[in-house]
Amino acid sequence: MSDPSAPPGRELLLALQLLDRQIVDRHGKLAGKVDDLEISLPSGGGPPVVTALLTGRGALADRLGGRLGRFAAALSRRLVAGDRERPGRVPVSRIADIGNHVTVALDADEMPTYAVEAAVRHGIVEHIPGSGVKGA
Amino acid sequence: MNKVLGITLGILTAMGGFVDIGDIVANSETGARFGLGLAWAVVVGVIGICVFAEMAGRVAAVSGRPVFDLVRERLGAKVGLVNLLASFFITFLTLTAEIGGIALALELASDVNYLLWIPVAGLAVWLVIWRVKFESMEQIFGLMGLVLVVMAVALWRLGPDWSDLAHQAAHPAVPHGEGHATYAFWAIALFGAAMTPYEVFFFSSGAVEEGWSRRDLMLNKANVFIGFPLGGVLSLTLMGLTAVVFQPAAVSVGSLSQSALPVSLAVGKLGLALVIIGFFAATFGAALETGLSCGYTISQYFGWPWGKRVRPREAARFHLLVLVALGVAVGVGLTAVDPIKVTEYSIVLSAAALPLTYLPILLVANDRDYMGESANRWLSNLLGSVFLVVLVVVAAVTIPLMIVTKAGS
Repeated sequence: MSDPSAPPGRELLLALQLLDRQIVDRHGKLAGKVDDLEISLPSGGGPPVVTALLTGRGALADRLGGRLGRFAAALSRRLVAGDRERPGRVPVSRIADIGNHVTVALDADEMPTYAVEAAVRHGIVEHIPGSGVKGA
Repeated sequence: MNKVLGITLGILTAMGGFVDIGDIVANSETGARFGLGLAWAVVVGVIGICVFAEMAGRVAAVSGRPVFDLVRERLGAKVGLVNLLASFFITFLTLTAEIGGIALALELASDVNYLLWIPVAGLAVWLVIWRVKFESMEQIFGLMGLVLVVMAVALWRLGPDWSDLAHQAAHPAVPHGEGHATYAFWAIALFGAAMTPYEVFFFSSGAVEEGWSRRDLMLNKANVFIGFPLGGVLSLTLMGLTAVVFQPAAVSVGSLSQSALPVSLAVGKLGLALVIIGFFAATFGAALETGLSCGYTISQYFGWPWGKRVRPREAARFHLLVLVALGVAVGVGLTAVDPIKVTEYSIVLSAAALPLTYLPILLVANDRDYMGESANRWLSNLLGSVFLVVLVVVAAVTIPLMIVTKAGS
């Protein structure tokens, strides 16, 4: 149990202050959205806890639901390597800060949302001259 | 000089919003048909876009979050997606029309058929987005568009009856031979053209691209309250020109060369050259604005890296989106679809989608978690709420009016 004499922490409204917010990596790079949240019921009993941010790999399509949503989710999981059943997942232990965006203690290329960005970068954009230079 | 260059974001946004191909034609046509009897709709639209662009710029400066970020966050995934589909479709239609508009301006200058210019225009827009720095881009096209001031010189040299023009503007009335529904349709078209959503997508994303912070709130105000009224004055000037030249003769206007005619009558060849350069700059600016916004909206909804402040390879999906949007726009343009018709429809359709874009801006501008001391004060809230009601009414009547009046014909 929490110590009643400890100063009160911050409480968040999950839907308003966490869901659909921008995720930013430890270097400030944009790395997807909080598409959904995972709440777990511990097997040994005890209250439910938020255990992960779900992002990418069909997390958004799962949430939109319906036939189209299921199709899009299956498709996006099939296109990138990894678990065919579950969406991208960032454990809450990797959350560094929650403000008007969510900062994670990860590099963007460790994020579940990175695979498609990398595929487009290496497959297409890098082959166009000037892709590696900032505008003049 | 730095102070002047600091407001080119507002100037470019407003040029692309107020004197792009759709407005050039809509203002010319309404001027020829209604005189200045619809000037009030432009004025109301300028006030509306100022209220919301100021909020969007302030949120971007304080929090670094552009408009479509807020749309997803406040409307949620589903309603946000509906808005994304509508906004993207409208922005893409406008992009198609602006590429056609650049080509029409080049046709006026060169006598080479505009269809041949369409691929050239598309390639040029892409090269600027791919290679030119954001600030240089807005300075070049924002300042080049200012040569449209030649329209004001032309109006002055035509020596119109100023008190009659003032009377038309102050006492709006439906002219003989025009129905009330047609008048209302054009009022909405002008209002919708002033408040097109891509202006706030571009303006707020531009603020993030330029790295605005809390210290830049005055710069935001200067951009908004100089840029947009300037765009509005230019579009009213165009309306005045065609009101003076075409309305007495009851000539209807439907092409870019007719829009340029009053200037060449009053100022001669030099005037014509300047107005063509101005039309080119404004349509090119609008193409940049809508082309980038095609990438901004989708990337910001999904949280992907976006924008020109990073190297293109670091915002790969964003640049692919812009490239594909431009390619498809060129393809659609080459089918010889009339660019002017395309924008007229896109302006009116955008009026129907506006409330979903402006509501989240108003909500977040009031959120002290985000904004702290910079949250909205009573005046912004009062104006924002009034305009939101107006937007909802406009959204509800737009499509029925479009059907009843056969798009204002």
